[in-house]
Amino acid sequence: MEMLINAIPYLFIAVPIVILIINNLLPASVTDKYGVRGGMILAVTNFAAAAVEFILLAVSGKSEVRFSIFWDYTEKISSNNGAYINAAYFRVNLITLFLMACIGIVMFASNLVAEETVTKKRGSYLNAIITLTLGMHGMLIVTDLFSLYVFLEIVGISSFVLISIFKTQKGLEGAFKYLAMSSFATILILFGLSFLFMTNESLTYESLKSLTIKPNGNGGAFLSYIALAALTAGFAIKAGAAPFHSWLPDAHQSADTSISILLSGIVIKIAGIYGLIVLTDLFSEVYAIRLSLAVIGVFTIMVGALLAMRQKHFKRICAYSSVSQMGYILLGLSAGSKLGLIGALYHIFSHAVFKSTLFTNAAALHERLHTLEIDEMGGLGNVMPTTSFSSIVAFLSTAGIPPFSGFWSKLLIVLALWGSGAKVLGGAALIISIFTAAYFLRLQKKVFFGVTNEKWRTVREVGGSILAGEVVLTAFTIIGGIAFPLVLLLLSGTGLM
Amino acid sequence: MTGLFTSVAEFLSRPYMFIAFMIAVPALGGVLVWLLRRFGAARFIVSLIFALSNLFFAASVYYGGGVNTSAPFLRALQLSFITTEFSAMCLFAAAVLFLFVSAYSLSYYKSGQGGVYMLYYFISLAMVNGALASDNIGMMLFFWEGLLCTLFGILLIGNLNNPRTAIKALAISGTADLFMMLGIVATIQAAGTVSISEMSSLPVTKMGALGCVMMLLGALGKAGAMPFHSWIPNAASDAPTPFLAAFPGSFEKILGIYLITRIFTDMYDITPGSAISVFVSIVGAVTLFLGVGMALVQKDMKRLLSYHAISQVGYMILGIGTALPVGIVGGTYHMLNNILYKSGLFIVAGAIEKRTKTTDLHNFHGIGRKMPATTACFIIFGLSIAGLPGTNGFFSKELIFDAALETNIVFYILALVGAFMTAASFLKLGGAAFFGRLRTPDGIDENEIREVNAGMLTPMCALAVLCLAFGVYNTYPIDTLIGKSLKIEESFSGWPHSSTLVIISCAVLAAAVANHIYGTRHNGGALKAVDHIHYAPGLKQVYAVAEAGYLDPYRWFMGAVNVFSAACTWIERGVSWIYDKAVPGIVNGVGNALRQYSNGSLSRYLITALVGLLALIAIFIAAIR
Repeated sequence: MEMLINAIPYLFIAVPIVILIINNLLPASVTDKYGVRGGMILAVTNFAAAAVEFILLAVSGKSEVRFSIFWDYTEKISSNNGAYINAAYFRVNLITLFLMACIGIVMFASNLVAEETVTKKRGSYLNAIITLTLGMHGMLIVTDLFSLYVFLEIVGISSFVLISIFKTQKGLEGAFKYLAMSSFATILILFGLSFLFMTNESLTYESLKSLTIKPNGNGGAFLSYIALAALTAGFAIKAGAAPFHSWLPDAHQSADTSISILLSGIVIKIAGIYGLIVLTDLFSEVYAIRLSLAVIGVFTIMVGALLAMRQKHFKRICAYSSVSQMGYILLGLSAGSKLGLIGALYHIFSHAVFKSTLFTNAAALHERLHTLEIDEMGGLGNVMPTTSFSSIVAFLSTAGIPPFSGFWSKLLIVLALWGSGAKVLGGAALIISIFTAAYFLRLQKKVFFGVTNEKWRTVREVGGSILAGEVVLTAFTIIGGIAFPLVLLLLSGTGLM
Repeated sequence: MTGLFTSVAEFLSRPYMFIAFMIAVPALGGVLVWLLRRFGAARFIVSLIFALSNLFFAASVYYGGGVNTSAPFLRALQLSFITTEFSAMCLFAAAVLFLFVSAYSLSYYKSGQGGVYMLYYFISLAMVNGALASDNIGMMLFFWEGLLCTLFGILLIGNLNNPRTAIKALAISGTADLFMMLGIVATIQAAGTVSISEMSSLPVTKMGALGCVMMLLGALGKAGAMPFHSWIPNAASDAPTPFLAAFPGSFEKILGIYLITRIFTDMYDITPGSAISVFVSIVGAVTLFLGVGMALVQKDMKRLLSYHAISQVGYMILGIGTALPVGIVGGTYHMLNNILYKSGLFIVAGAIEKRTKTTDLHNFHGIGRKMPATTACFIIFGLSIAGLPGTNGFFSKELIFDAALETNIVFYILALVGAFMTAASFLKLGGAAFFGRLRTPDGIDENEIREVNAGMLTPMCALAVLCLAFGVYNTYPIDTLIGKSLKIEESFSGWPHSSTLVIISCAVLAAAVANHIYGTRHNGGALKAVDHIHYAPGLKQVYAVAEAGYLDPYRWFMGAVNVFSAACTWIERGVSWIYDKAVPGIVNGVGNALRQYSNGSLSRYLITALVGLLALIAIFIAAIR
């Protein structure tokens, strides 16, 4: 058991590398046919490993599992009399395992869609996917901020490549915008990191945890404080929070749908939200971080929702919806309590699932209709019932309607806000969810409800892996909602709540 | 005979017997008469049997010492009937009247017609019996409301396409009944019991005052006093003529006056001069005066008589409202007299209508010689209602004048003027309808105007005889019937004590005759005998406004309801505007503005991000404190 717990984390690094090697050793003819399957295998093993490790870790009561590759991290520790400061190691804890499971789910959905939509250069596609996966895993398992930054860059570069992999005009434009905004984020993060390093001499989590930032002190302390602002802003850009969100819709709209799933479903969360999770964990005494997250959060929800109401392109509406939902996650983080963190994490999961569902539906629609302008659609619920049903389930989950998973995550976030004293914020978050329901209802009405448009009379339901993806994701939403009370029981049993 | 009555009364006191024989049996009779509606003779005999049996039971209840029964019903209710002497007397009066009016109704309707009407009429009798005898105040309310239902039903007969009068009657009478309900609840609260016989001399304070006032309003409404009166003239035009004899003429009066008397003498402790007494007297005086004022100028016989019915109720209420023994006796005696001559007058109107097919006084004139018996009865009724010395109406009016004078001179003067106008209007009616040169309506030949058949004539003459009897031999009704029932020791029978009042009344009557003669000569014809009053400056405008219906409280109320509903519609539109136009407009507007801002230009994005960064730093700095 102990061995299993300590062994599984290596899989997170080993499996992607192995598949990478196999992918590049096999000839192009094979990888072009089966490349995406490799991605699916990666996703499934990822998810399985993460889930198993999560359960084992939760049951065993340990808080984290440390491991290292090619070097023995315990050396430094013994020379430091048992202190973990400045030792280099990887670790997985419950939060990171949960996020890795989410990566697995989204990756799987993305690959199901890619099976239909990515028709050539699948080998290269798989390479880029693996790099992305490695980058995300890396971000999750490192224990110091600079390594976090390095893997953040790897994620970023893989994303640029994936967005523009087919070298279309739109793809290149979207990737470029993302690149430019990402550079701005990089500047800010490096700026912040350097000032922190200046005052602290170490960027490991352990040492930063014991650091207290006193902005009223000397100039150095004030600069560290401002460094925190820069770090927050940098990660917020990566997360797609307003007013830094503008790259997100353009990138999503121009990328291939399977990439949109990845971007919206997991990349912005790992790259942006996880960074903010780390920040709030390390500098929990700095009230300004939570305050700015709350402000950004509310602003993001409003801006995302208002913009989504007036869009005409299916994927663009979904992209703005992602922006809006990031706001909820930020609100959950801003509460500063464990409940808030759990709410935010569960919302990451819910959002991953329902956003993937919606983008899968977009892929299905594009496959059959070859257009994604909602004004041209109408009454597709009659001819594409499964797509319509999964879309409705996703919509209800977004709006926070029981018994779907979105309801629970929103509830936890609002409860956390209420409990931490920000009652007005909690109430506002609830009321603003009316807008969430509004723009999605508008989408549903224009695309699926009503009388079928003449043009689409002969359209059939989409088949193959896209359909499989829709079904699986819908099942996840429903099960995630119905089974969540069990999860709550588990969490309270292990003392996390 | 008394022994027979006593044993029957005891029989009725057995559990469920009263409700079976005095409530269920009349209802059953109604059903039978309805089933036999096509067979003229059969239905007449059946109805006669039921009416006579009812009369027998009522008489035995009165002479046999009353009924006292209580039986459980459906486990939760207690059906208790206790008759006091007074309610037994009213029961008896109702039964007598029912006999006559039902006989008249069946003669009025040809075979095949009037079946539903008779059904409702019999059920109404059952309701009246129940209400008069109930001891449980809630059960009394049930029967009280039952009368409202049959009233509504009758007014709908033949008017299903134009139910306005029925709805108006339902609304007005229903409102009065609502007050009644409220009053009953308050009375139960104040008395702590639902048994009427246990409520005696409740104090008129707080809950008691509310109960008293509300119940009085309910009773006044049932009796047809102002402001609950405005449906009666409408019914005069729309309802069948037998209805007028039966309901506004008798049943409603009996119930209303019964309850008012009960409240004043038994249930509540009301002293002469107290606020309640003054209130009721004022209602009575106003009803009296305004009712007869409207009656004076009517040119349709039925409408004229219906306004008189309203006015006569005013007399009764004024009398009882003074809370003096002389007033209460006078008011109750006036009720008994009134049901005699008012029903008689309506029967006369019905007889005329049967022969001339109209009751509009413009259309016929001077048919007295052709219908001598009817004319004779009319003269008797008319003299009684005008109050000629020696008639029953005179005696009851004098008692009321006495009570009114003792209370306040204004009431007395109003009553006198009322008497003047009553006499004047009956002189007009008699002069126009019966006396003078014969003129038949268009299409009716002179030879068709002959006396009506015995079926109508008998009740008419019987009532006339009773009128005379109650006048000549007034000890019996005043002392025995009323005085004993209300436990009033003083004897008011015989010639009135105060001769001054008698002289004044005679002077008023003489003035009315003089006015009639003057009017006939001056305006040309008996019909126009009071036109000089009608078109007098000042009164002309008032009459015009009243005739147009602007003084109808029902109309004011419906106007207020319309205003209220218009206000609600206006508010509704405002709220809809907010939800349909305002909120979506704002949201869409802001969304469009934001969309136009995000135009895809990278430099704009970067600048926005920079501004965001600065804002974030500002937040951080602001949070230092």
